[in-house]
Amino acid sequence: MTVDTRLRRTAAALGAIALLGGTLYGLGPGTATASSHREAPLVAADPAIDNTDLYAFVSPERPGYVTFVANWQPFEEPNGGPNFYPFATDATYHIKVDNDGDAKPDAEFKWKFRSVDNRGDSTFLYNNGPVTSIDDENLLFKQTYSLQSSFNGEPFKTRVEDAPVAPSRVGAASMPDYGTLRQQATRTLPGGWKIFAGQADDPFFLDLRVFDLLYGGDLSETGQDTVAGYNVNTIALQVPFADVALKGDATRNPVIGVWTTTERDRVRITGGRGSGGKVQVSRLGNPLVNEVVVPASLKDTFNATPPERDAGIPALVKRVLEPEVPKLIESIYKIPAPKTPRNDLAEIFLTGITTKAGGPIKADLNSQLNNADVKASRFRPSEQLRLNLSVPVAGAPDRLGVLAGDLQGFPNGRRLTDDVVDIELQALVGAAQTGKLVDALAAGDAVNTNDQQFSGEFPYVALPNGVAVNSAAKQPATAAKLTGSSPAAAAAPASDTDVAQPAPDLVPVAVVSGATGLGLVIVLAGVFLLLRWYRRRGRGADPDRTLTF
Amino acid sequence: MRRNLIRFGLAGVLAAGLLGTAAIVVRPEAPIPVATTDTRPPADVLAQRITRAQQQLRAVPGDWPGWASLGAAYLEQARITADPGLYPKAEEAALRSLRLRPDGNSDGLVVLGALANARHDFGAARDRAREALTVNDHDAGAYGVLADALTQLGDAAGATEAVQRMLDLRPGLAAYARASYDLELRGRVTEAESLMRQALDNAVDPHDVAFCQAQLGDLAFGRGDLATAEAAYAAALAADPSAFGAQHGMARIGAVRGDLSGYGRLVARMPATSTLLEYATLLRVADRQAEADQQIELAAAAEGLFAANGGADGLAAAELALAQGRPEEAVTAARAEWQRRQHPDVADMLAWSLHTAGRDAEALPYARRALAGGSRAAGHAYHLGMIELGLGQPEAARASLARALDTNPYFSPVDGPLARRALAGLRTSGGNR
Repeated sequence: MTVDTRLRRTAAALGAIALLGGTLYGLGPGTATASSHREAPLVAADPAIDNTDLYAFVSPERPGYVTFVANWQPFEEPNGGPNFYPFATDATYHIKVDNDGDAKPDAEFKWKFRSVDNRGDSTFLYNNGPVTSIDDENLLFKQTYSLQSSFNGEPFKTRVEDAPVAPSRVGAASMPDYGTLRQQATRTLPGGWKIFAGQADDPFFLDLRVFDLLYGGDLSETGQDTVAGYNVNTIALQVPFADVALKGDATRNPVIGVWTTTERDRVRITGGRGSGGKVQVSRLGNPLVNEVVVPASLKDTFNATPPERDAGIPALVKRVLEPEVPKLIESIYKIPAPKTPRNDLAEIFLTGITTKAGGPIKADLNSQLNNADVKASRFRPSEQLRLNLSVPVAGAPDRLGVLAGDLQGFPNGRRLTDDVVDIELQALVGAAQTGKLVDALAAGDAVNTNDQQFSGEFPYVALPNGVAVNSAAKQPATAAKLTGSSPAAAAAPASDTDVAQPAPDLVPVAVVSGATGLGLVIVLAGVFLLLRWYRRRGRGADPDRTLTF
Repeated sequence: MRRNLIRFGLAGVLAAGLLGTAAIVVRPEAPIPVATTDTRPPADVLAQRITRAQQQLRAVPGDWPGWASLGAAYLEQARITADPGLYPKAEEAALRSLRLRPDGNSDGLVVLGALANARHDFGAARDRAREALTVNDHDAGAYGVLADALTQLGDAAGATEAVQRMLDLRPGLAAYARASYDLELRGRVTEAESLMRQALDNAVDPHDVAFCQAQLGDLAFGRGDLATAEAAYAAALAADPSAFGAQHGMARIGAVRGDLSGYGRLVARMPATSTLLEYATLLRVADRQAEADQQIELAAAAEGLFAANGGADGLAAAELALAQGRPEEAVTAARAEWQRRQHPDVADMLAWSLHTAGRDAEALPYARRALAGGSRAAGHAYHLGMIELGLGQPEAARASLARALDTNPYFSPVDGPLARRALAGLRTSGGNR
């Protein structure tokens, strides 16, 4: 036995001892000892550019004005302290409106954010005392923004500069009256525009408890609402119809299509082709399209694609016409998927609901093709959130929107209260195609409303949550909503269990798994809801309703 | 047998060092008292994500993107804490994701690729990345893995192209960091710094801030700007006191000023072969030969452990062999690494090993190769100069040595003075000037 072999053996034994030693197991084969191997972050924390939701609706209390609410950066944990959630300063945030159906923006709104960081090198704290106004010196890190707009391809004009961003809510001691900060961050501009940017409660609602039933786990171990209690970064804008309607005439041309993007400057490190230009890093129109319709392997493609190219990407179009979710449900649960191609879904997602594109839904609701001054020959199918501005504001909005006969709701635009999870599931199992709404599905996932009340006026979204999510039961308003109306939820001791846990600052898996994780949630929710629906249908407890357009 | 016992004892010291490391890593943060303000330190977002993802995946084991994300988070954690003990966990999570979803799962492949890179299996990393790209040709993470692998394998052009694709798909910190390194390797250090600063401007996570600042520190040090480097390292450590790259940078700056205590702490925290050898060299120059020998023994133990666990790192092995006065073994190790990958650093190591073995003629092409891509690494220029000197090429040697010292007069407390002396000798012995 050579010295070298003995050495290796000893070393191997030592390695084994080290492995047994818990913290000592660090010296595996992967120990990076080569100085040349520089490891850089790969999945860097960059959530500030992730679109989560877009809402577009006729302002309920302000006739003739349309409101856009766009959200970024999901799952902001309101655990206070030095944790806060700025908008990205090297990105631009966009809301784009297509009113002539060519899938190119005719009105474009562009936000750019700037940070004012007075923390210096001495502190990591967000504030060094109570913050009582939007320009309080105690707020050490502030953001402001500029808003520019461009119409019909003309150059961008600045509408406002240095508008204040409502800060991240970091607790009652630091921000005793957050409502004032919200108010001071809400501005009215010439032309009647209202603007807001800053933190808000995430208006999306969805119950993850479906997981439990599907996997046979213990409800008390999982039971946490996915989104309740978390905050997002919101950009809200309210403008007159005339500013976004084709030819400024919302009477002749009431339909608009909307989407939002996040863009960064293109950076080049190779020669040729020059620099300049933008990279679209995130895109969002209809809710959950990236999760429900687009498969994981096309998600990145979709995010990089402008709507004008949608129709030219066969794989994307195919996924609308032959969606995966109903097939998945069929393969597992033998519930027949509706026949393909799903032209009904193409109508909902790609053209808008209209009789002018040959689709199966016999109604004219929200396609730009229904605008009087649109040239049909220039129309190009694309994924947009389409809104008919002329539909009167509903006195009592139905969370199931159009499918329940409330034409002012999703998929005609999207209100904060629209239960898009249930609506899209209905659509995917063919509700729009058959013209029948499945009432068992309408009972839904027992989360039919947001955990926080929406405001009756701009920017409508609720104030940001101020209590760490896993201790949210301590917050009376939230607790009532969390336990909700469902007996199953009331019986679940989930919140109490979580409160008792020593680590209240946990971020849910959906942060990690991102949009595709949410997609899975939707798929599973669909399976769960369908199973319920399937069972109930057997009992004949399904008073179908015919769609009324 | 006695020899083994000695080794055992040294490994014990090593283990103690590791325990010390753990103590540093997990030590509680001291609160900073400020009136009426929440003074908790920033939450460790990554650690929180891992914990929560574990909880969620226990309840929902079918969440395949969740498994891939957990694997990716483990890898980030391993990078930040320099704890390869997380690699098997990352691998398990990625494989689980791929078992649940074998097709159309670029996320899982990207994690496996990144893991292969972390384990220095760059060929496998390249292959995983390409597999991921056949599934999802818009996956920026896959281009990141590909870029890292091709850089290390020495395919500079391919790496640049992959970085550019990543920039085209998802500009942001991860892409900027790779672009910055790519530019640096091509000698475009001003642009490299500017991109890294851009990455820093939008970094929110303290670990990311620390990474960018440490890189800016390294770039500043590389051009001899100690003050800027020190400020950057200090900013990195303010964001993340346990940031290894910044601790290393600070130790290097301390060493320039004759203070080796930073290196002492560094090797106590992470007794990696190359760090121990750097320390040993500095101790030797400071006439602390006994301590230097001790560090070399530790380095040998670390390298032995690494190899016994199946690791293969020719650079560290060659460095160790040089430190132990076995230049021919260094040549063997460096040449083996060169067979695996043609990174400039490997070319440099092979050249220097050959030079130390008295084989300057063979060394020259490798020394030139190390700089051929445009790299401005002062150490590489010094090595080239000494090889040229050995080959009786005073003019070329003078230029190379001057280049090393002009780029960074502080590039090495050991080699810097040697370079100066050699240069002075070349000038007095009647060069062309």
